[in-house]
Amino acid sequence: MNTDHHDTFQRMIDESLAGVILAEKEQSLREHLSTCARCKEYLSASNRVIAGLSGFSFEVNPTLNARVLAALRLHAEQGRGILARDAGTMRQHGVRFKNWAAFALALSMSFAGSALVYQVATRLAVPMYFDNAQVQAGVLVFWLLPSFCSALWLLAAPGENRGIA
Amino acid sequence: MESDTQRIALGLRQRDVAVLETLVEQYQYRLVRYLVSLLGRRDGVDDFVQETWLRVLERGGSYDGHSRFEPWLFRVARNIALDAMRKRPTFSLDSKEEDGVRSSPASGEPSPYTLAARTQDAERLAHSLQTLEPVYREALVLRFQEELSLQEISAIVGAPVSTVASRIYRGLATLRPQFEGDTA
Repeated sequence: MNTDHHDTFQRMIDESLAGVILAEKEQSLREHLSTCARCKEYLSASNRVIAGLSGFSFEVNPTLNARVLAALRLHAEQGRGILARDAGTMRQHGVRFKNWAAFALALSMSFAGSALVYQVATRLAVPMYFDNAQVQAGVLVFWLLPSFCSALWLLAAPGENRGIA
Repeated sequence: MESDTQRIALGLRQRDVAVLETLVEQYQYRLVRYLVSLLGRRDGVDDFVQETWLRVLERGGSYDGHSRFEPWLFRVARNIALDAMRKRPTFSLDSKEEDGVRSSPASGEPSPYTLAARTQDAERLAHSLQTLEPVYREALVLRFQEELSLQEISAIVGAPVSTVASRIYRGLATLRPQFEGDTA
């Protein structure tokens, strides 16, 4: 048999050991190995390399596991702390935003409502014998100031809903 | 197996320390062994091991549980080791190979393989393994010690399956002469 022929089968042995050989090649290799001492020797040497690789046993530092586990617990704890803090900050930011939004809405409704009430009041002023100054004072005292105070109260709500307080 | 890996994936997503403790117990030795094969030295390995588990805690959510856990773990460890090598040239794994793995010889200290050899065949291999190109050593260890498939190894080292296969062939070709013509 020529060298190329052995090379082909020895390549198949490598493929077989690596786990990538095709089934039909494997069969042909098996048949060849039953008659070829040279390739059998090649396979035997390869198997001893593989067996040798399994003959190493590394010492693991006995404190390593404890050290790793302590580090993991610490990091997990810190991670939870950071998450909780972030969640708290986000929640607080959410409350502030809602309060400011409510304030803005109440303020705009306060002015829009006052304008509307002023229009209605001026129409009623003539049949009810009020002058313009009395209408303006009425709208200011009975509509604009209460609604503006309500808007401010929303912003300065106590406890968890507190915005600017 | 799927349910085991799914359970691991769920535990990692939830940053469940109890799950991590089990994984540490189960995979610590293999992780040490893989890192020694990658680095070609024993010192510094413990730090990489710790860093690997912390990375698992931080980025465990990226493990999907559809494949085995150990290839994913080894990939994390490998990335950490290679990053450290790039930052610390004195501990370099620069290589002629395309993915940059080459061990720096340990100065004056015995090879980890010499210390770890427990059989005659292992003793015979110890020196050759130490001087073997790390990419070949890594491929051999992942295939024959960790019993990973070529696809799994390919995913760990970030190289095509054909490249992994040829590393295994070349690694075997380098070590085989130790036993050729030996009837023992």
